[in-house]
Amino acid sequence: MTTAAVAAGERIPSGKLAVWWFLASEIMTFGGLLAAFVLCRFAGGGWEDQAAHVNAWIAAVNTLVLLTSSLSMVQAHRAVEDGSRRRAAAFLLVTVLLGVAFLGVKGFEYSRELAHGFTPSTAPFWSFYYGLTGLHALHVLAGVVANAALWIAAVRGRGWAQVAPRVEYAGLYWHFVDVVWIFLFPLVYLS
Amino acid sequence: MSEPMGFWRRYVFSTDHKVIGRQYLFLGLAMALVGAASAYIIRWQLAWPESQIPLTRWIPEPAMYDGHLDPSFYNQLVTMHGTVMIFFVAMPILLGALGNFLIPLMIGADDMALPRLNMLSFWTIFTAAVVLLASFFVHGGPAASGWTAYPPLSDDPSYTGVDWGQNLWLLAVALEFASFLMGGINFLTTVVNMRAPGLGFFRLPLMVWMQLTAAVLFMLSVGPLIAGAVMLLLDRTIGTTFFLPQRGGDPLLWQHLFWFFGHPEVYVVLLPGVGAVLEILPVFTRKPIFGYRTIVYSTIVAGLLSFVVWAHHMFVAGIDPRLATPFSITTILISVPFAVIVFAMIASLWGGSITFPTPMLFALGFLVTFLVGGVTGIFNGSAAVDIFIHGTYFVVAHFHYTLFPTVFFGGFAGLYYWYPKMFGRMLNEALGKLHFWLTFVGFNATFLPMFLLGMGGHMRRIYNPLQYDFLKPLAPVNQFATIAMIVLLLGQIPFVLNFFGSLRYGAKAADNPWGANTLEWQTSSPPPHGNFSTPPTVHRGPYDFSLPGAPADFVPQHRPAAVGGRAA
Amino acid sequence: MSDATRFPSYVAVWAWLVALLAVGLACAFLPFGKAIAIFLVFTVAAAKAFLVARHYMHLRSESLLIYAIAGLPVLLLVGLTIALVPDIVFRR
Repeated sequence: MTTAAVAAGERIPSGKLAVWWFLASEIMTFGGLLAAFVLCRFAGGGWEDQAAHVNAWIAAVNTLVLLTSSLSMVQAHRAVEDGSRRRAAAFLLVTVLLGVAFLGVKGFEYSRELAHGFTPSTAPFWSFYYGLTGLHALHVLAGVVANAALWIAAVRGRGWAQVAPRVEYAGLYWHFVDVVWIFLFPLVYLS
Repeated sequence: MSEPMGFWRRYVFSTDHKVIGRQYLFLGLAMALVGAASAYIIRWQLAWPESQIPLTRWIPEPAMYDGHLDPSFYNQLVTMHGTVMIFFVAMPILLGALGNFLIPLMIGADDMALPRLNMLSFWTIFTAAVVLLASFFVHGGPAASGWTAYPPLSDDPSYTGVDWGQNLWLLAVALEFASFLMGGINFLTTVVNMRAPGLGFFRLPLMVWMQLTAAVLFMLSVGPLIAGAVMLLLDRTIGTTFFLPQRGGDPLLWQHLFWFFGHPEVYVVLLPGVGAVLEILPVFTRKPIFGYRTIVYSTIVAGLLSFVVWAHHMFVAGIDPRLATPFSITTILISVPFAVIVFAMIASLWGGSITFPTPMLFALGFLVTFLVGGVTGIFNGSAAVDIFIHGTYFVVAHFHYTLFPTVFFGGFAGLYYWYPKMFGRMLNEALGKLHFWLTFVGFNATFLPMFLLGMGGHMRRIYNPLQYDFLKPLAPVNQFATIAMIVLLLGQIPFVLNFFGSLRYGAKAADNPWGANTLEWQTSSPPPHGNFSTPPTVHRGPYDFSLPGAPADFVPQHRPAAVGGRAA
Repeated sequence: MSDATRFPSYVAVWAWLVALLAVGLACAFLPFGKAIAIFLVFTVAAAKAFLVARHYMHLRSESLLIYAIAGLPVLLLVGLTIALVPDIVFRR
């Protein structure tokens, strides 16, 4: 499939390079939305009265969930590097479950807020709240699906050698989603 | 790799970059029909408002009333003309077709780094095109707020009467962005990782540099607009208030997010057209391109600057006046690297043994017309002048004098030049020359008068100029432009006949009919699956023409130094 | 590259991340001035992001090209945000 390498040894694998380029565009997307949020929030006077209605403790739990899932994801990568398919599968499963837990907590949060009458139209703060966390949640979902596919491949074993390098790439994406939340959490919940 | 493939895997769901490149080309050419049709109706309406427009009686109400144009449909056509031409004609042809087809060949690779992602990228834009065309048929019709989709007009369905049309527009544009993000990732990864041995960055053909820069510009600029498009879609569907001023939102935010992307985007479209011209000039002057490294550095500088000029689209939008000065300065500055590139092109002609086959005619046509476009950009870039000409036909003329040259002069130059490589046949020269002259005369006659219209105060996007007394004296100019445009449109018929006729009846193309040096010409026309029977090694730059002491007036890139004389 | 640098103790990094999470929460709920609280909270977030990027995403052992790919968007975003301040923050 590939032609001869230009310089032996120093090349970044195509898959990794591709994922980093993709993350660059994702940084611009989430960054654009976050920048708009920060700017509009300053313009609107801080929106503290609305922001008081989000629950920082629930979100802190979610932050812990996501941080731990990054740990399990990078351990899955390390397991791949060590050549241990079963350990990789185990850590991938943990990551998937933690991701699902994050989404579950988020769904619980949304239902509470909507029940209290805080819809996307209530105020500009809520437009950004649902927009930012919603877009982030969609990215978490995509990551969960990707990781689940990798877990299935690891459990089955057939063709694992081909698929194993992708654990690192899925990991890069997953850590990125975690980093977005690391910034989202204080900007939305702690300000 | 050589197992027999069925029809679907081979021609439809292929991962071969050459097939995918041709698929992008056919998509772009097909969508050009939609773009041209909308232009025809718009221009006829401007020339003879409220008249019955020929050939349109089949369009049903409420868009047209027995050939009479509905004002809302006029807005929709203006919107779709811009959207289709930029996102579904220019980008597919210049980046999707030329980029996909040429990059692996020019770097001596057997395919892109990520072939399945490549296939996915084509089918994504195909879906996007279907979604966009579907918007013509939903209740309320297609989007009507301009290709720039400014809120509040685009935000609230009650302003335009368009509901699902605008949502589908947002979806189609988002899918198109996803498609070119995937493509850009492929271009970048492929050029970094899969160059043939000996092909350092400063031996790359300039087309590859241009595609590379365009990919980087697109990938770094589109993010904020994706964010904005998500915000607009949420405003329209779940009731958020990002851009609605009466509910605490800010319409200007959209404009900033849009143009932060919109300006680098025009260079994304421009650079591949420039690249085609830069490949063609050396071949038909038989001398190396003048200032290879200068062109590369100028391109990089222009790319960097393109991120800090965007607010020149917003001088009269109500921005802080203190923002106008820095953006005017950067805008005038960005003309410098492009001027350098144009000077390099002119210097490349100086002292050359120039011949004028059709690709060269189109390349020279680019040079002449883009010069006008570039120079008139300076008028627009000065905030003080722009206060008068913003929103007038001066701007329309300016951007058609930049976009048309890159897509239709640069792009056609590329098509005529690489058609033998893509399809294994030669195009007919007589038809090509006829096509060129009709296009060149028709284009200039259509758009040059628009500078005068703009200076006379003729506004953009209006349905009936004769409603304004001060525009009535300009009516003959509108009529002249419309007649010229019809000549331009009819002038494309020789191309269509040539393109499809030569597929069957054209002379079979040799490997290297033009006597060029870049790697795509050192394999068969069209190249086999896998591109090169033996992977090439590169020993020299791409423009070793008329080297002293060389046996021929061109030395392909893979010729070792001892055989071909001093390597450049 | 030694095993120790390729695979730092991921659990240790996680412990730091959790500690920083606690610090961030404390900054938000303790009686600091609003501006100081926001500054501290954002600094904590930046530190956490740095740890994840450097150790989990292995940026510390990656080439210059990857740094450029990751860093350039951040610079552009800073530029975009600053350029938008006059129009978005101070419009009235």
